[in-house]
Amino acid sequence: MKNQQRFRTNMRFSLGFFVLLFIVLIVYMGYSVIKNGTTWYATPYNPRIANARKNINGGTIYDRNGIALAWSEGTTRKYHQTQSIRRACSHVVGDIYGKTIGAETTFAKYLYGLDSNISVLLDQILSGEEAGGQGQDITLTIDAQLSDYIYKKMDGRRGSVVVLNYRTGEILASVSILTFDPNTVNTDELEESALVDRATMGRYPPGSIMKIVTASAAVDQGLDLTYTCTGSDTIGGQLVTCTKEHGTQNLEEAFVNSCNTYFANLSVKLGGSTLKKQAEKFSFNRTFDYSDITLYRSNFEISSELGDIAWAGIGQYNDLITPMHAALMAATIANNGVMPEPKLLKEVGGSGLSRWSNGKSVKVLSEKTASIIKNMMGKVVQSGTGTSAGISGAAVYGKTGTAEYMEDGEIKNHSWFVGFMNEEHPYALAVLFEGAGYGSAYAAPVAADIFEYLLG
Amino acid sequence: MKISRRSTKAILFLQQIFILSAFGLLTIQNGNLDFMAIAMGVALCVFNLLQYNILKAAFRHMDRFVLLAAQFLWSVGIIVIYRINPEYAFKQGIILFGSTIVSVIVMLVIRKSHDFGKWNWLFMLLAIALLGSTLILSKTIGGAKNWIDLKIFSFQPSEFAKILFIMGSAYFLSTREKLFSFFPYILFTGICVILLVAAKELGTGLLLCGTFLILFFAATGRIFLTLIGVGVFGVGAYASYHIFSHVRTRVEVWLDPWSSYNDQGYQIVQGLMALASGGLFGVGLGNGMPNVIPASHTDYIFSVIGEEFGILFAAVVIVFYLVFIVRGMLIALNAENIYDALLVFGCTCMLSLQGFIIIGGVIKLIPLTGITLPFISYGGSSLLSSMIQLGIIEGVAIKNGKKEEKELRMMGADVL
Repeated sequence: MKNQQRFRTNMRFSLGFFVLLFIVLIVYMGYSVIKNGTTWYATPYNPRIANARKNINGGTIYDRNGIALAWSEGTTRKYHQTQSIRRACSHVVGDIYGKTIGAETTFAKYLYGLDSNISVLLDQILSGEEAGGQGQDITLTIDAQLSDYIYKKMDGRRGSVVVLNYRTGEILASVSILTFDPNTVNTDELEESALVDRATMGRYPPGSIMKIVTASAAVDQGLDLTYTCTGSDTIGGQLVTCTKEHGTQNLEEAFVNSCNTYFANLSVKLGGSTLKKQAEKFSFNRTFDYSDITLYRSNFEISSELGDIAWAGIGQYNDLITPMHAALMAATIANNGVMPEPKLLKEVGGSGLSRWSNGKSVKVLSEKTASIIKNMMGKVVQSGTGTSAGISGAAVYGKTGTAEYMEDGEIKNHSWFVGFMNEEHPYALAVLFEGAGYGSAYAAPVAADIFEYLLG
Repeated sequence: MKISRRSTKAILFLQQIFILSAFGLLTIQNGNLDFMAIAMGVALCVFNLLQYNILKAAFRHMDRFVLLAAQFLWSVGIIVIYRINPEYAFKQGIILFGSTIVSVIVMLVIRKSHDFGKWNWLFMLLAIALLGSTLILSKTIGGAKNWIDLKIFSFQPSEFAKILFIMGSAYFLSTREKLFSFFPYILFTGICVILLVAAKELGTGLLLCGTFLILFFAATGRIFLTLIGVGVFGVGAYASYHIFSHVRTRVEVWLDPWSSYNDQGYQIVQGLMALASGGLFGVGLGNGMPNVIPASHTDYIFSVIGEEFGILFAAVVIVFYLVFIVRGMLIALNAENIYDALLVFGCTCMLSLQGFIIIGGVIKLIPLTGITLPFISYGGSSLLSSMIQLGIIEGVAIKNGKKEEKELRMMGADVL
């Protein structure tokens, strides 16, 4: 060893390296537990929740108007008396057997008092009380009567409807059919997908509602193509068809008529990477880390094939979206280009102290682009493919979608409608019927009924 | 001039309060009083107090902060182990007692010795033999072939190979100058790591690689060569990812443990849930569910600490490993020769890095590799090995102190 001084310097450098390593360790631990703690905790797999349910009198779950949806009587868990309300809210409320991820699981921390603070614990210890206390009550943002109304309007057809307040992100209704009855879910013989919450876990091709994303990319790029639709077009060797010959159109007319060939050509002009970037601004390909709901990620891919890009731009190819995300997309346009965070928990405890906060909203579009798209969505309902969603008495905006998919070797269509109402009624919604047919024929009329209801 | 040391009474006092209140809580845990718990707590307090004071009296120059950090860590360990299974805690206590004696012997040897010269070749062969023997004689525990069952007791040879590795490293890096002469040492390291990876002991393999690179860098100061070493490590890791399916599984499970919740991801997911349910302040000692976490008393003990004591306390535990590295480094800087310095530096690096590797795995910062948490995890081989390393660190500290005292006396100081 020639240079002892050098050795000392190197050792000090190594010390710095170790200090850094351990700081990373501590910071990462704190960050990940604080950020993901609720998600990690609130899974149906967590044996702690099941354990707590045996000993603790669970709190009551109320809807936003004070209707009790679930409560404990002794060790049994009771649910709303009316079967249709139980079913309409089944996926939102969840169950106590760990079969679904609903409020029963997500908010178990509150319901079973697992977050009780040190003073409560001390009280318990001093009073010699066995574990077996009382959990806290919670109030959800859900409107049970609206949910029930929607459930009845859906008339047993498979699909999902999400209604939320686009200013605050509060979820007013999130109905998914198939449903289950929380009273008997443990013993019932259920159909295969009855426990899947289609609103947050069902990933469907978006079809033409994806044109909201594509059109906004065109507006951002200042690209207003003029194109003549002849009913079909071959792009990159793949045939894209329209329902009819739309003739010569600009962006707005093509959006209002939902012209596939126009948007296919527009997508190719915009290019795959621009489209993908825009979709990712709308949170496609992103892991949602919302505190109140577990939302599956939506998918948007491109390939080097022009045909694939064309299809991706009109919501086919490998595009996938959940109804909740579709509602958030409409909410973004309504909310001046800002996507709100969906919230389900309104209040904890009877104290009236709200734990509710606005959440993290994401700026997606400029106000200008959002207002241009909003204008187009208004025309869709006034004179385009979405006229059946229109109501008298309030301005309604929307976009229909008909998404093709293959089942049993047969081409079927998911029927989509996403839309929202004006300022005084700040509600956005998404309606999806699995394999029903055209968006304008099935989803849009149900949307009209819901708008009507929300108008009061 | 009078030089005296800062008092550590306050730290010891806090430690005793901590142990007694924890075991007090365990005593009243299940409604009925468990007097074994409080007896265990008192025994641990007395042991720590006696050990500290006897060692302090016997070796005036011992580094007290290193010992106190170790005491804190094994106290936390015994508390948590008792909470999981009292029988294990008793065993751990006996091992602690035995390995304290071993570590004192190590201190005495290190205090007097110089590097072991040619003997180091034998040490290196022994290390390889130990690692090789696991492949032939071992039984599989926890997916890894790293235990040898000698009928009376079983032990984990790699724990001792680690120490031989440090001794070999210190010898080579302090006596060799030319790059060429490092060749046997590099070959030795390579063989050790390959044997470990083949025995599916990825954690120890990673630990050896990391320690090697840090020691090599510190001793030689050759940044370029160290970077090449990092590159070789990267290529090796990449290759083993493709060659060994168990490496591949680890990485996949690390990226997304939730999708394989029912099999490979189970342990990680349970660990994360435990941390999440603990939150900042923990659910309280005895209120968690360590029984659902596989290996909760050994490799995964950190997640139990996180659940019951909270992540703030878990961060404190991490800081205690930092105390090791900081104090160890100071001792190394004061060492009278490079061999001693590297010996201490190697031990502190290894202990801290081992803590980092397993804690990082539990919190999903890096892929999980099965390795024990030094001083805390249940396990004879692991605790004994950590205690030997503690003995080495203290031995060099004592040696330094003697030298300094001699120098100070020559200057006419009155040393206490």
